[in-house]
Amino acid sequence: MSLAATALGPGRREASASRGPATATIGMAIFLGAAAMLFAAMFFAYGVMRAQAPAWPPPGQAPLPRGALGANTLLLAAASLVLRAALAAARRGNAARARTRAGAALGLGAAFLVAQIVVWRALVLGGAGPTSGIYGSVFFAISGLHALHVFGGLLALAVVLARGASSVARTERRLALAALYWDFVLAVWLLFFFGACLR
Amino acid sequence: MPYGPPRDASLDGHLVDGAFAYLTFTTGICFAIVVVVMGIALLFHRQRAGRVAHYTHGDRRRDHVLTLGVAVAMFLGIDAVLAGRSLGHLETRFWSYPDADPAAVRVEVTAQQWAWTFRLAGPDGRFGTRDDVVTLNELQVPAGRPIYLKLHSKDVIHSLYLPAFRTKIDAVPGQTTRLWFQAREAGRYELGCAQHCGVSHYKMRGEMMATPDADWQRWLDRAVQDARLRYDATPDTALGAWDWEQG
Amino acid sequence: METASDNPASGPSAAALFSRDHKVIAKQFLALGLAFLAVGGFMAMLIRWQMAHPAAPVPLVGRALFGAAGGIISPAAYTSLFTMHGTIMIFFAVTPILIGAFGNFCIPLMIGARDMAFPTLNMLSVWTMAAATGTLTASFFVPLGAPQAGWTAYATLSTAVGTPGLGQTLWVVAIYLNGASSVMGAINYITTIIRERAPGMTWLRLPLTVWGFLMTSILNALFVPVLAAGMVLLFFDRVFGTQFFIAGSTIKGGGDPILYQHLFWLFGHPEVYILILPAWGIVSDLLAFFARKPAYGYRVTVGAFVAVTALSSLVYGHHMFTTGMSPLLGESFMVLTMIISVPAVLLFLNWLGTLWRGSIHLDTPMLYCLGLVFTFGVGGLTGLFLADIVADMYLHDTYFVVGHFHLIMGAAVLLAIFAGLTFWFPKMFGRMMNEPLGKLHFWLTIVSLNVVFGGQLVIGYAGMQRRLYDPSVYEFLRPLLPLNQLISRAAFVLGAAQLIFVVNFFWSLARGRRAPENPWQVGTLEWSTSSPPPHHNFDAIPVVNHGPHELGNPLVLARLGRDWLGQTEAAELAWPARTAPEGPAASEGVEPPDVAGPPAAPEGTT
Ligand code: HEA
Ligand code: HEA
Ligand code: CUA
Ligand SMILES: [Cu+2]
Repeated sequence: MSLAATALGPGRREASASRGPATATIGMAIFLGAAAMLFAAMFFAYGVMRAQAPAWPPPGQAPLPRGALGANTLLLAAASLVLRAALAAARRGNAARARTRAGAALGLGAAFLVAQIVVWRALVLGGAGPTSGIYGSVFFAISGLHALHVFGGLLALAVVLARGASSVARTERRLALAALYWDFVLAVWLLFFFGACLR
Repeated sequence: MPYGPPRDASLDGHLVDGAFAYLTFTTGICFAIVVVVMGIALLFHRQRAGRVAHYTHGDRRRDHVLTLGVAVAMFLGIDAVLAGRSLGHLETRFWSYPDADPAAVRVEVTAQQWAWTFRLAGPDGRFGTRDDVVTLNELQVPAGRPIYLKLHSKDVIHSLYLPAFRTKIDAVPGQTTRLWFQAREAGRYELGCAQHCGVSHYKMRGEMMATPDADWQRWLDRAVQDARLRYDATPDTALGAWDWEQG
Repeated sequence: METASDNPASGPSAAALFSRDHKVIAKQFLALGLAFLAVGGFMAMLIRWQMAHPAAPVPLVGRALFGAAGGIISPAAYTSLFTMHGTIMIFFAVTPILIGAFGNFCIPLMIGARDMAFPTLNMLSVWTMAAATGTLTASFFVPLGAPQAGWTAYATLSTAVGTPGLGQTLWVVAIYLNGASSVMGAINYITTIIRERAPGMTWLRLPLTVWGFLMTSILNALFVPVLAAGMVLLFFDRVFGTQFFIAGSTIKGGGDPILYQHLFWLFGHPEVYILILPAWGIVSDLLAFFARKPAYGYRVTVGAFVAVTALSSLVYGHHMFTTGMSPLLGESFMVLTMIISVPAVLLFLNWLGTLWRGSIHLDTPMLYCLGLVFTFGVGGLTGLFLADIVADMYLHDTYFVVGHFHLIMGAAVLLAIFAGLTFWFPKMFGRMMNEPLGKLHFWLTIVSLNVVFGGQLVIGYAGMQRRLYDPSVYEFLRPLLPLNQLISRAAFVLGAAQLIFVVNFFWSLARGRRAPENPWQVGTLEWSTSSPPPHHNFDAIPVVNHGPHELGNPLVLARLGRDWLGQTEAAELAWPARTAPEGPAASEGVEPPDVAGPPAAPEGTT
């Protein structure tokens, strides 16, 4: 997301006063609304597929590895929590701690992605890949799209960290946006995990 | 009419024509009023030396009441009346399928790129048996009896279209759709495909022959004999037929 | 990048390509959109040729385009033609011009901002759109040819089962990228309108054009992602071999082709309002400007915009009446569709109210607007025919539908584009467009347009299906050939008339009369700065005291000797002497300044 990255050129200072945290937050909120509609549509497709199948999982399909997915869920939740902690540190003015915590969140998020890839690989090798039937297809489509969004969040976080701490306030603002995004990604995953994978 | 629709040959097609006529009439009047009002404004309220526009924002209560009133009146006069009529016609006619009517002739329709297959059950009344009559691009029906179609598709979505019967219904892979109609009089009618289904969509034409009941019976008897002769019990022959009740 | 956007004199240099200035980005969208409008229009001419002279060699261009077939349009080529015509017109011509170009140009200028809220995102949006056009263009030149599933790309036809070529896959990618560009634009537009309004620019002082863009952007942000989801699943089906839209077995479960239609139309119906809302906004403003009267019933108009936006997603099923959907669902969609026509009627009445007792100036932009009102009326009313399930059983997938949506999109929206271009041309390029040429273009266009699209309604009522390569296959359609030929002749006149516009456009660009700051004598903010505006738009951020259409106020006329009042001019000018602005004046229609909505301007804007 380049929302946080819209720094101003010289000569635009005058208009810039209003482009404070609120503007970026509104932009992020609209973006998340759009992303939410994307996932809502995917869940709708999932619901239709599931309602039309005679049983779920359909006969002959092994159920998803719930334990592994549950562990991954914990990873993602941890990433979100740690990022919140980083934000809290930034709010208290502790830039160094904010950065280490954000780094930890980045690590946890990356670990989630790796763990997801491990699950996918196991599924594909076990003959339950995306083309094995509708059960596998919806799982791969939704978890794949979700993973892309997690990846985007990792990039954004990496940018926040790489940009350095020109000022605590600015770091705080960027972390606040990143945290909002991570909460969204977590919420989507929780919905998918509890609403679809577990049932 | 030089460029009108084909002559209506169906029992209920006049309801479709009636809805169309009602809409043409009412919306025509509204639109005529609009054009007249616009015309007056354009003729008499044009810029002229010394003319000053009447100053109003049209945001007083009575302006709002006026516009809302006209809109609601239009809705009640056109839309609501039409909706009431149409919902009634759908309930009592178009969507009231002759499931229990012993006189209804049942036909299974299979669409595929780019042809129609019609299957009649024959004397035993069951589909997928050796007395089934299968025709390609030609549907034989008796006039004066309800015709009850169930459709599906083998590949992409098609749409069975009977212009002289003012109706159409999609044929969708993986599910069954249904349609019923009745020919008022004997004749040869064109049927076609209305849904874009690939390069040769335009060629997916067929015909429906509506004949007097007795003639149709004679045709059916002969066709059933042919069918029995030709039947071989490989699964292929039954392919495309499915249990009517399941659909 | 930074330097390019900050150079006020950035001309058509390479640096300007990476500008973040909303006015430059608007021109990029405009150039891209106009080019594709020409391509789409040219394809329409080929379509009409085939309808008038089925399988006859195309004159002039036939050899070059369809050489292998001896200059004849083959069925496959025809299928690609209407697919690409529809796709290009909606996604690559009207969207970039109306929303990309006008939205970008007008929003900051009309609300008194220096630029969009997120200039970099804005630049990214235009580049994503460019990538989308590149992808779409590439789809013409790949093995197995251009996309062939229609602009709606219904599954199963659009999956590898029906259209195996790479072209269709590229189409999916192009639509996805196009949508991404639209969402970026929407995020920018909404945020800009919420946050960057000049002090005093309350919600109810926004020009209706801006309201149109705001509602369009909300729909874009919410429903383009639904299309994106459909494209993602379709892409999976085509590339990875999944079966979301391919019917499965009843035992193992599987895909559903109708699911695609739900996803497509859940986007698709809001999309048609996405295209018409800016047009409604523009015409509501321009009618007021050229009738020299305030827009009649401003609040009702805004309310109608909001109502249409809110309802737009609830009616989409009217495109699927013949799929055998459940009766209850179908009936609800029918009634909801009829309800959505109420706000349209309100709008229409307000337009008439604006014209009534005005002092109507028939400048070219006004002519286009009047044409729009007429064609939208016919197009909208024919929508009611289609909304009725009983009539739609016959009319669905006939040329009646084609006539309906061309009267709105091919006529009304197209005319809104012409109106907006002639109206804002002076502000964009600092020169006036030529009036006599404009009027000639208008009259030729409006007459031929109505013959073409009115003729389509008649042909559709006579029963002719859409997307037919050669109607003469059907006996009952053969007598329609003369009418089809008449429509085609009119379409060729229409096409030729557009050359006048092209000439006018380029001639005016180079030689047009220098535009003054405020050639139309109206009060919205974009006309209070120079033509073209400086890089930073306004030397000082304006302070707004009035609504957008303070026209024909007798007090202003008496005091200033002119019939318009700028939005920034002193508040007292519009008020009877010694009346506090809070007390509604006795003189009818003078409304107190509105204070509704969120705080007028974020603290510290200036
Ligand atoms: C910008 C584009 C646009 C707009 C604004 C509309 C507006 C409307 N559309 Fe249309 N429509 C399309 C673009 C649009 N449509 C397209 C592209 C398709 C086909 C897609 C495809 O299949 O390829 C389509 C198809 C379509 C269908 C499906 C047809 C079918 O496939 O069988 C239906 C059915 O209900 C419909 C209905 C309506 C209705 C009720 C409106 C209403 O909003 C109209 C409201 C307007 C009015 C009611 C008229 C205005 C009022 C007056 C004139 C005043 C009257 C007088 C007085 C008050 C005195 N449209
Ligand atoms: C906004 C949308 C839009 C517009 C403007 C048009 C414009 C036109 N359309 Fe199109 N049309 C569609 C959207 C549009 N159409 C869609 C969605 C379909 C359905 C596709 C499908 O079935 O999948 C369709 C299908 C369609 C068909 C049906 C094909 C079929 O079903 O077999 C026909 C047939 O007559 C047709 C004709 C025309 C004509 C004659 C015009 C004329 O109005 C064209 C006139 C315009 C021009 C000639 C271009 C002018 C160019 C400029 C002004 C450029 C200026 C440039 C510079 C200044 C640099 N169109
Ligand atoms: Cu089958 Cu069109
Ligand atoms: Cu619609």
